[in-house]
Amino acid sequence: MIATLAFYVFALILLVSAAMVVTARNPVHSVLFLIMAFFNAAALFLIAGAEFLAMILVIVYVGAVAVLFLFVVMMLDVNFAELREGYQRYAPVGAAVGAVLFVELLMVLGGWHFAPDAASLRLGQIPAGVSNTDALGRVLYTDYVLLFQLAGLVLLVAMIGAIVLTLRDRKTSRHQDIGRQTARSAATSLRMVTVAIGAGVAPGDILRPQPEAPLTPPEPVGGGAGHGGPHHAAEIR
Amino acid sequence: MNWTAAIPEIFLALSGLAILMLGVFVRREPTFLCSMLAVGALLLTAVLVLGGSDGAAYGGQFVVDPFSSFVKLLVLAAAALALVLSLDYNRREGLARLEYPVLMLFATLGMLVMASASNLMTLYLGLELQSLAIYVLAAFARDTLRSSEAGLKYFVLGALASGLLLYGISLVYGFTGGVGFAGMAQALADPVHASPGLIAGIVFIVAGLAFKISAVPFHMWTPDVYEGAPSPVTAFLATAPKVAAMALLLRVMVTPFGHLLGSWQLLIELVSIASMVLGALAAIGQTNIKRLMAYSSIGHMGYALIGLACGTPEGIRGVLVYLVIYVFMNAGTFACIIAMRRRGLAVEKIADLGGLGRSDPGLALAMAVFMFSMAGIPPMSGFFGKLYVFLPAVQSGLWTLAVIGVLTSVVGAYYYLRVVKVMYFDPGVEELDAPPASLSVLATGTALFTTLFFVFPGPFIGAAQAAARVLFG
Amino acid sequence: MGFGEGLLHLLLVVVQALALLVPLLIGVAYLTYAERKVLAAIQLRKGPNVVGPFGLWQPFADAIKMLMKETIIPAGSNRLLFLMAPMLTFGLAMIAWAVIPVNDGWAIADINVGVLYLFAISSLGVYGIIIAGWASNSKYAFLGAMRSAAQMVSYEVSMGFVMVSVLLCVGSLNLNDVVMAQRHVWFAIPLFPMFVVFFISTLAETNRAPFDLPEGESEIVAGFFVEYSAMAFALFFLGEYANMILMSTMTSILFLGGWLSPVGFLPSGPGWLVLKIVVVLFMFLWVRATFPRFRYDQLMRLGWKVFLPFSLAWLVLTAGVLLAMGWLPHGA
Repeated sequence: MIATLAFYVFALILLVSAAMVVTARNPVHSVLFLIMAFFNAAALFLIAGAEFLAMILVIVYVGAVAVLFLFVVMMLDVNFAELREGYQRYAPVGAAVGAVLFVELLMVLGGWHFAPDAASLRLGQIPAGVSNTDALGRVLYTDYVLLFQLAGLVLLVAMIGAIVLTLRDRKTSRHQDIGRQTARSAATSLRMVTVAIGAGVAPGDILRPQPEAPLTPPEPVGGGAGHGGPHHAAEIR
Repeated sequence: MNWTAAIPEIFLALSGLAILMLGVFVRREPTFLCSMLAVGALLLTAVLVLGGSDGAAYGGQFVVDPFSSFVKLLVLAAAALALVLSLDYNRREGLARLEYPVLMLFATLGMLVMASASNLMTLYLGLELQSLAIYVLAAFARDTLRSSEAGLKYFVLGALASGLLLYGISLVYGFTGGVGFAGMAQALADPVHASPGLIAGIVFIVAGLAFKISAVPFHMWTPDVYEGAPSPVTAFLATAPKVAAMALLLRVMVTPFGHLLGSWQLLIELVSIASMVLGALAAIGQTNIKRLMAYSSIGHMGYALIGLACGTPEGIRGVLVYLVIYVFMNAGTFACIIAMRRRGLAVEKIADLGGLGRSDPGLALAMAVFMFSMAGIPPMSGFFGKLYVFLPAVQSGLWTLAVIGVLTSVVGAYYYLRVVKVMYFDPGVEELDAPPASLSVLATGTALFTTLFFVFPGPFIGAAQAAARVLFG
Repeated sequence: MGFGEGLLHLLLVVVQALALLVPLLIGVAYLTYAERKVLAAIQLRKGPNVVGPFGLWQPFADAIKMLMKETIIPAGSNRLLFLMAPMLTFGLAMIAWAVIPVNDGWAIADINVGVLYLFAISSLGVYGIIIAGWASNSKYAFLGAMRSAAQMVSYEVSMGFVMVSVLLCVGSLNLNDVVMAQRHVWFAIPLFPMFVVFFISTLAETNRAPFDLPEGESEIVAGFFVEYSAMAFALFFLGEYANMILMSTMTSILFLGGWLSPVGFLPSGPGWLVLKIVVVLFMFLWVRATFPRFRYDQLMRLGWKVFLPFSLAWLVLTAGVLLAMGWLPHGA
């Protein structure tokens, strides 16, 4: 009895929050209602005895996907008034389409009957005495290995796609190269200069990080005079 | 478990991963190397497909039979052609990045899985793998507005179509209790069990797949995406995925739902008629050749669907033959379109072809061959394609379809021949650049195939016959 | 289950929860005291020493001060969410304790998927912060929230892999089983690198130094709780420290054998768990006193380019070794 009551409570909250997702004025509120919907769906999974799915739903959808949703929605500068205007204009059309679909669905469900073999064809009966997680583990890499790996490839393609479409290597951005940082030694970065009293440090005495690819040095005109940049010049001085 | 049935797919997946890794870690510019390796991988996969043995695998989720092998070979050929088409274009447009061949390989992998799917879940995953890769490819020229728009549009509408498909799958699963085609066929052996809910599910599945083959009324994305996507991607989009999605539609309709022919025949007929009519009429006003090709492909899918509407082995054979002809004809046309460059910049107006007959007779001749073929003028292959779908329609008594098909072909001939007229009789604007060797070779090859199809149709028709028969068990 | 029996059961659960939460809250209070004392000792200062003997009443003085102050709600903020965020943080830090076993079989809810439950709850912690940051209508708060969202989501991934490698050795998702599987050897020994990764990830997950960028008091003043005052601030504060204790408990249970006695002749019991938690907490404080704050790109690099591949590789290695040696636990 309690389970039935709980089912209806969670299902009701799920439906209400799902409706709020599409009707809330503020998109941030929409995402928060979406999270609520996820939670209630997880609760429904729990009631159905699918505890693994319930937890994974929370971890993946609430813990990661919805965070990114929220992240994006908060960053977007959405003009609510403009959104509402479109909503007002298309609401009657949308409602009409929805009503037609709803009536159709009702008609469809009116003729509801299953194929006689339906029960015997059902997938994945859980063997007795095996926990939900265990049962999933038993079939995931055996019966459904093909589908599982294909799903993995779909995700890989999504990842490649995201990188292809967004990653830009700017020549100006300065990445940290830890190898280079630790490979630096005092010999390459520190030089002792004797400074005459009262003269101060000449600009050439201050070591600056050298550019990555040295600009092609001008051809030395005579001997090695112009060679080696300002540091040597400072030393010679 | 008979996992060896999927060796071609496994090979293709592993080579995709290997090429990706290689491309990331190779020091010098990896794109050309990766593209060549990808073509090699596609060809090797084709060899593996040829060498494979028939049978079901993975607990009936995956099946290898003459039908799947036929479709796979066609898809692999189309993908290889599209990849070769892209080499020169991508280099010139600054799109030569190593992800291009990799995404192409994964898209092809998805299509191979679709060809072998004998379970609604495999079907869905194959379809998603294919679509997701193509969404990205369509937006590949990310710095141009049109390409980004094409990718986004295709993605949003494609996601909607996937949603419809999934909803249909869930309804069908609910009413038949199975997702495996064999089990569903068994559950539906008696058409009495086709409840309205099940029919609704089938309608949703057809809608989802009709989107992928851009049949009316799910065609809206086609012109914009064809126009916006980089031309080699359009070439790919117009060939391989169409074949795979059509094959999927054939298998789903004939194997599990074959006993319900009476329930879905009218639906397919309507979709077919609408596609033919819209493809013929809407193309007339186009000035952009890629948009023209978009409407042309909508029309072609309409013709191909005639074969499915028959619901007979002959009809299915007709569809398969049509697809073979369509792929080579389209790949050739796109080779010509990609070759359209003036002073190094790609042009894609029909008017830009003016005077091509004098400035580049070879290219003009190839283009003319393809246009004649698309219009269905004998002895070009396009005529035979239409013949092989119209005949079974007449045999099955679908006179309406056949008559509308012939009428729309006549209307369609108008705009195909207009392109020929522009090339030969209009004054030239300014000469186009000489096409690169790869495109010339490709256009010549496909043009030869298109003209000489009538000399050796035997092997194709024989293979299509065998493939079609296996669907009917 | 009859109504009366159900009520009795409910009452029992409430008593159990209170028996766990009251010591926890006192623990939280004294953790703040301990932090100040430890930091002071490391920095050669005295720390709080005025209120009560050795400053022992300091936490209560702080609590009363917080209670007495006014809760200021900034103009233009989203009032509901602004107040909800600290409650959420605090509430989440409390409900996670439902599945923690303090002794063999002593857990309020001994569920099959305890590890997943803990992971799920800890992954929700980010909401308190991100909602606080947004609802405050302040750019510093928002910056802090953004940093925190990215940081916590990033480090969760490698934490997940670490947990999976522990679970591979256990063969069950039940926390009781996890502890009992360590009867012979603590997982910290065979999985030492994973233990290190886990500990560092918990630092990032709780936004503690050197990963305290969401607060970053020297750059974005106090990050996501810059606008909070009085009780709302106190709830955040309590939630953060309760989370530290929770994470230490997780570390103790997953890697340090929970309530099991490390020395053979002494009996196992909750005391050991408390001791282990205290040791891990001391490490938290020690790290804070020792390391400077990470730069943001370094933080991301560490999470995605070092921990993620490393923990993935170690997971594969663990699975491979277990399989090769035939050590895979069979159906727990």
